[in-house]
Formats: sequence, structure tokens, C-alpha cells
Amino acid sequence: MSPSAGARLDVPRAPFVALSTLWLVLTGTLCNLRCTHCLNASGPETPWLAPLDAAAARRAIAEADALGVREIYFTGGEPFLHREILPLLEHSLNVAATTVLTNGTVMTDALLDALAALARTARYSLEIRVSLDAPDAAGNDRVRGAGTWQRAVRTIQALDARGLLPIVTATAVDDAPDLYDRLRALLSGLGIAKSRVKILPVFPVGRAADESGARLSEADLEGFDRATLQCAETRAVAADGVYACPILAGLPEARLSSGDLGAALRPASLFHTACVTCHRTGATCRNA
Amino acid sequence: MPERVREHRRIAVFGGVYANAEALAAVLSDARSRDADAVFCLGDLGGFGPHPDRVFPLLRESGMRVVRGNYDEAVASGAADCNCGYTDPRDNHFARISYAYTVGHTSSTDRAWLATLPGHERVRLGAYRVLMCHGSPRRINEFLWESTTPDGLLRRLLTDYSADVLLCTHTGIKWQRCVAGGAGYAVNVGAIGRPENDGTPRVWYALLTAEPDLRVEFVPVSYDHEAVARAIETEGLPHEFAETLRTGWWTTCLENLPARERARGRF
Repeated sequence: MSPSAGARLDVPRAPFVALSTLWLVLTGTLCNLRCTHCLNASGPETPWLAPLDAAAARRAIAEADALGVREIYFTGGEPFLHREILPLLEHSLNVAATTVLTNGTVMTDALLDALAALARTARYSLEIRVSLDAPDAAGNDRVRGAGTWQRAVRTIQALDARGLLPIVTATAVDDAPDLYDRLRALLSGLGIAKSRVKILPVFPVGRAADESGARLSEADLEGFDRATLQCAETRAVAADGVYACPILAGLPEARLSSGDLGAALRPASLFHTACVTCHRTGATCRNA
Repeated sequence: MPERVREHRRIAVFGGVYANAEALAAVLSDARSRDADAVFCLGDLGGFGPHPDRVFPLLRESGMRVVRGNYDEAVASGAADCNCGYTDPRDNHFARISYAYTVGHTSSTDRAWLATLPGHERVRLGAYRVLMCHGSPRRINEFLWESTTPDGLLRRLLTDYSADVLLCTHTGIKWQRCVAGGAGYAVNVGAIGRPENDGTPRVWYALLTAEPDLRVEFVPVSYDHEAVARAIETEGLPHEFAETLRTGWWTTCLENLPARERARGRF
């Protein structure tokens, strides 16, 4: 890897292959939590990245549909803080399978019931990803805030009871190799028969930023198929523009257009330290 | 040189043999009895099952056309893994065991034959231009599940690849759809090497007929699954593979199922 540099001339790029995955940064960086590793530094304060209004979200979904999108993801911040999440979700599920990434701490029984009803009648699959960073309250709450483990676990159980089969998503904060097995054991212990677990690496961006970290160079990517990077098939729509991926949404250097999805379907610069993580780990923000 | 496109009235199509020679023989016999004028296999000849070498004579002697699957591509090239497209550690654990066994039990002659398989097949079925592939026309290991394959994507694929009917496999669960807006049809023909996670040991293939309108039938086939399950155990492969053949419920390689398809299974 090349060391960090200001004006680099050999910043590699990823090709644009197809729009398979559309991310909507629905609430921008508005969240009720303030996790220590949050990749876009979301929190309850005035968001530095504004929420997406419903009309913009619908426009992006329509554009993506015409482009042959395969999956749609709602993220934030905490997407369930968006006032129009349910009608938007209903609209999105009429176009493609849709996933919501939630911290699982703001979902009421009425909302859970509405999601279950939506999943039953929707044309395509509804997926709910609930963040839980450790199988124990102490490990999770150290990162996500006091009391969050208990609330998220309650939501996971409530979703499972309604047949929604949540995907428990953990960020490997401690790099523990047995995190996957321990989370599966937790879910099994909770009586969840169809446990679904996804592990993500910590991305050096947002609150976990490491500006001194390495960047990718052309030499690093020699012989590597760049079309396998998620930014080759992904675009993220936020309030202020379209970005190559949800991890870098909101960063000016990652913006590919000011709002038009079609204009953002071009090669993306792999300029960030987080691009190293994607390249090194093969991580995908998709469900699978 | 332009592709030579054969014309047919009725075709039988299946995928995912997964080294299940008993199921393959039963499907071929059934397809012959239904007046199919051609039979096509959409790839993944190895994986899960015992004695992968036993499927090759059946395929070659039948004279059918076989499209290359990700498994076939990996075995032929000596790749490090099956390129199944799994991202889950448990799925990959079982995929590694299955792949190592399959590679170790596939002869160099059969590997050379796998290397000759085409990536897709085109035929004309009545008035329909039919495109057959393994995962999707754009990626050999793309999972086209019913609940996560939107009409917009199918319209794009049918247009980009100049087809009226798209046939694929790779997921192991069958489905069919007339794409909204009159763009054409998509059929995932399912797999014959393991049941489709429905609690029965039967497997499925697809029969497509131009009458002249397109008619798609999924045909269930029973075979001696107990014999194959016993052979899996004798070969020292994971008992989970045998359990799936006996019960019809997937026990492995199911973490990538979308919620809707996962909800229908036992595990």
C-alpha cells in the first residue's frame, strides 16, 4: 500500500459495471445512538449529512428501476427515524427486494406489526438488518451505548416472532475470530431457529477514521479484478448527491453527481483508506 | 461467425446435478418419456454428492448440451474454491469440504471436458429466442432468487442479451415469471441434485413447450435418494448433505437465502 499523500496522481479507479445495488441514505446522519465506530459519525445532534426527502428517494428508486437495479437498501443514521419510512418501503418493495439497516432500538410493536404486514403482501423480499456488535451486553454497549443490547435483542426476538428473520449484523470491533459463532449461539439460545448473522470489518472512516492509514495504488491492484469491488455495482443516494458506496456517502471526494443517478454511473476513485479495507477483506455491505 | 441456433418445439432443462447420478438418470428417463426433442443441463455437475465421476458418462452418452456452471469452471481450471458466491462462514465451510472432495474425485479427462463447456446456450423455441445460462447472463454465480429478482432487472437482462426467454439455475429453487410489460419470460429451472427445501426428497426439472404460446411446466422426479444419502455417508462427506437428500430440507449453504425463501424451510 502507498502511504497517505495529498495530491496523488496514481489514485486507482473502479470501473462501473451495472447498477445492481441502490443505497438510500434515508436519514442522513441522524440517529438516536452515537456508536464509537460509526462510519458516517451519525448521532442525535443536527446531522452533518441531511436526511433525504421522500420525493428524492422516490425519484432515485424510479431511476434505479429503469436501470435494472437488483436490490435496494435503506440506511442512515437510523432509517426508522424517517417520518415516511413505511410508505417509502412499500414503494421500494414494489420495485425490488429492500433491506433496512437499523439499530433496533426505536421500533415499536405497531411498527413491527406494520413491517410484518408489508412483508406478507410485498412483491419482493423485505429484509431487516439489526446491528448488534457483541453477544453480551457489556461488549455491545461499550460501543453502541448503555442499554442498546437489551433493546436490540428484544427487537430481534420480536422480528423473528413475526417471521421477519432479521439479519444480525455485527462490526468486528475487537477482531474476535469467534464473533460469528458466539452470535449464532446467542440467537440459538434466544430460541431463534433460523439465525442469520453478518460480520463487517471496521471501516476507517467517520468516528473510526484513520487519516494516517494507507491508500490504494495502481500497483496494489495489479492482477486484481476491480469489478469485484462493490463500488463497481453500487451507488448511494444522499441528500446532497450520489456516491460510489454507502461507506463514503457524504464525503465530497466520493461524490459522483449532485443528484442525478444516471450521471453517477461512471468509474469511482478508490482514494480513501476505507477502500483498502474493501480490497483487503472483500467486504460487501450487501446482505450476501 | 454467427452462433448457430437450433430450433425446437419442446425442451427439457435442468441444473444443479451436484454429483447426483441417480437423480440425473431418473430425470433423463422422465424427460425422454415426455417427448422432449432436446435436453439441456445448465451446469454445476459436482458438489454435495458422492462419486462426481459417475455423472459424466450419463451426460455424454445422452448427447445433451451442457452449459458451464461456476463449479464446472472452478474444477476445470483448478481454482482454489468453487466460486459459488457465498459470503457466510458456515456456507463457505461446507462449500470447501464439498469442493475439495469433488476436485479430488474428478479425473483429468473429465476436467478437460468441463473446460470445453460453453458459458451459455441459445435456441429457438417456436417463436421465442431462448437464452440459457447458469447464474445470470452477466455473471456465472449470480443468484436469481424469485423474491430478489425484480422485473426491472429481468427486462434489462432480456434486452441486453437479446432474448425472449431467460433460463437459469444456480439457486436450487425453481420459479417462473412472465415479466411485466411484455418484456418476456424468466425461468429458474431449479436443481436436480438436491431437493428444493420443501420437505420432500423429490427434485425438479422444467419442460418448456411452444404451443405456439410458451408453456412452462415444472416436473417433479423421485429417485433412489436413500442410496445416494448412504453413499454420501460412506464417502465421509458431511452427514448434513445426506440429511438434506432424505428430508428435503436444506441443512447447509442456506445462509444466502432471502428472508422469504428462508422462511419456507425448516432451518
